Amino acid sequence: MLELFTLAIEVLTAVVVLTATGIVAVRLYRRFKHRKQARLAAGPRRSLLAFVADNGEEGSHDLVAIPEDAWRAAEPHALALLGKLRGEAHMGLVSVFLRRGTARTALGHLRSRSRVKRARAAQVLGDLELRQAVPELCRLLTDRHAEVRVVAVRALGRIGDPAAAWRIIASLDRSDPIPSLLASHTLVQLGAEAEVTLSAALDHPQARVRAVCLDALGLLGATASVTRIARILKEDAHLDVRVAAANALGKLGTRSAIDPLSLALHISRPAALRAAAAKALGDIGSPNAVPVLEALLDDGAFHVAHEAAHALRRIGPAGLAALTGRGGNGHALEALALARVLREEKTAVPA
Amino acid sequence: MIEEFIRDALRWTDVSIFAYFVALNSSYLVLIVLAGLEFYRHLRRIPFAGADDMFRSPLTLPVSVIVPAYNEGPGIVAAVQAMTALRYPRYEVVVVDDGSSDDTFEQLRARFDLVEVPRVVPADVAYTSEVLSVHVARANPETLTVVRKTNGGKADALNVGINLARHPLICMVDADSVLDPDALLSVAKPFGDDPLRVAACGGVVRIANGCKVIGGRVVDVRMPKQWLVRIQVVEYLRAFLMGRTGWSRLGGLVVISGAFGVFRRDLVVRVGGMDEDTIGEDAELVVRLHHHLRETKEDYRVIFVAEPVSWSEAPSSLAVLGRQRRRWHRGIAEILSKHRRMILNPRYGRIGLVALPYYVVFELLAPFIELSALVLLPLGLWVDAVNLEFAWRFVLVAYGYGLLVSLAALFIEEVSFHRYPRWGDLARGMTAAILENFGYRQILAVWQVKGAFGAWHGRKAVWGTMDRTGFGTPDEPESDLVGAGSVPRVP
Repeated sequence: MLELFTLAIEVLTAVVVLTATGIVAVRLYRRFKHRKQARLAAGPRRSLLAFVADNGEEGSHDLVAIPEDAWRAAEPHALALLGKLRGEAHMGLVSVFLRRGTARTALGHLRSRSRVKRARAAQVLGDLELRQAVPELCRLLTDRHAEVRVVAVRALGRIGDPAAAWRIIASLDRSDPIPSLLASHTLVQLGAEAEVTLSAALDHPQARVRAVCLDALGLLGATASVTRIARILKEDAHLDVRVAAANALGKLGTRSAIDPLSLALHISRPAALRAAAAKALGDIGSPNAVPVLEALLDDGAFHVAHEAAHALRRIGPAGLAALTGRGGNGHALEALALARVLREEKTAVPA
Repeated sequence: MIEEFIRDALRWTDVSIFAYFVALNSSYLVLIVLAGLEFYRHLRRIPFAGADDMFRSPLTLPVSVIVPAYNEGPGIVAAVQAMTALRYPRYEVVVVDDGSSDDTFEQLRARFDLVEVPRVVPADVAYTSEVLSVHVARANPETLTVVRKTNGGKADALNVGINLARHPLICMVDADSVLDPDALLSVAKPFGDDPLRVAACGGVVRIANGCKVIGGRVVDVRMPKQWLVRIQVVEYLRAFLMGRTGWSRLGGLVVISGAFGVFRRDLVVRVGGMDEDTIGEDAELVVRLHHHLRETKEDYRVIFVAEPVSWSEAPSSLAVLGRQRRRWHRGIAEILSKHRRMILNPRYGRIGLVALPYYVVFELLAPFIELSALVLLPLGLWVDAVNLEFAWRFVLVAYGYGLLVSLAALFIEEVSFHRYPRWGDLARGMTAAILENFGYRQILAVWQVKGAFGAWHGRKAVWGTMDRTGFGTPDEPESDLVGAGSVPRVP
């Protein structure tokens, strides 16, 4: 037993000393590496800043001529810069990346065995906004690793090619889909040209797909789809989809949405839907909605009454007058007080 | 005959205690290795993590940051200023003044030009105190809300905050915490990446003592001046950063610090909010979520992110540290007692079969075993059950292994986040890892045993007060002093 203890003490001493030495060695190595990287990146970073300052008109040859190790050290900075640039400077820097073969390498890495490499490549192609990469990125939407699919979706959003819309929608219809909010945001980034695809997808059998398309249509301001969205608000079998339809109608803000939203306020509807419909009516801001919203101030469901009161506040003078007339109602008092604070701040809401 | 029996019993007890120490430190080492793997995974993914996309997206889930405050007058303004300047697309801050007897509210009213507004407080979760008034910032009424209520304790204050929270995610933050600018973005990100499954996400809490804080931001990370706090820095690294990351990787995280954690509001409401009868209400909520979600057979995840962080002030006196550790251990004892049905119950998966049994054996019982070793080893020597040769080797191996575990945590920290850039701080960290074995661990065990007995004997839980010294560097008066005041108390 004692021998075992002695051996354990010897082993422990050795490992403790090794670990302590390892800590110091890691720090020394990192500092050395950091200094070397900083030295290498200094020149390219200056050239990059000069290039950007010239709006990408001069200096591209110098950037392309930078030796590989120095460019590698400066590349994270250059990629970060890409995201901040617009117009000529952005196009100029993209062209530098293309001439240096970054896009070609990234396209090759999209088929790497390493998921980290695939995801990094997708990120780079998205940063470069390279349209030629769209088919390959769409292929990644069925990657077996969720993190790769997520990066591919984001990259497609940044590229903004509406041709990718139906592939993104299709990637929602699987057992392990991409996150709904990310899909909605990406579909919005594809722009108004994606509206037709999104509108057609409102008939998709998957509730999640319909909800995502509704969110995207609302944010895109797709007023041509109001009738279809109103039909979903009325008829869809899934509550989440109907709530998404109410939200979308609110964002679209057309008067033709008032009637379907008012119908959704009926007491027989679920409270979550009624609260969403009340909020949407406030978003539209039409005085025509005041009577139906006022009737909800005494509703037994807290969130319905709360949203109705704040919807009346957002409608403006007509809504505020209705709230004032219901002086004893807690939700009305709350909304009026907030309106007062906002008015004092902005001095925009008439007394 | 009896003497011989006692000698044998003592000998075997001492050997068993030794085996326990080996098992305990080995388990820590496994968790640290798992944390190391997780950090490696995390760091490789930073280039494509998409934090900027999340910041720019209009669909990012909004968050209600709930800040319970009790007598936080000297530091509350800086803390709230920092929280209202976080990098996140859409969030509100709800400060709940839990009946402070100092000028906490007056400070806020003066700085943010608060105006009183009537507010209907829903009763989504129960609370026992009385809401006295609700105020909003005149310049930003939809971003900052301050609630005044009668004193009811931290859990009660959080419940009021949960009721008033308007957003689908709630983030609970201590009033004396200083968050990194991207902290909220990082902790809320898993909810966007895996919205159907992520139920809660904890952020790491590091010690702010000694750090330079300007404008509610930690701008220069330094080791504290007192050895008592330096030892806690190493302890936080080992137990909180590494331990919780390891548990998160194992899918068995049962503690999310009340100082910094994000939860889905609907789930918190569904399980009834914070438990006002448990002193460790933050961990209890997580265990209750596990309890509920396992029973309803939902596919869910409770995870931990290691960076960026929330900075918190650690006790710098033995008296305050003692109160804190008694409270923490009492919390563990209460939670394990309350949820004992889950322990070793296959229905609760790895929480019931691995995490909670581990907490019983290696967290709840650890101070008892440590203290019994301190008594039984000398006793064994005295009655000749063990000889001196065995005894000193026993002590050296047990504490040497503990030192190795702490150094391993420092090594992983150095490889991954290396937050302490100065060579002097590195040396101080390594020295603290050695020093914690001489007195610190032993006195900690005494406090922890007292805390556990307090829970089992149903003594009234007392939070006590914490005299904060602030985070600012003493020789740099321009630094903000965040976090003076007292911790809330449970009535």
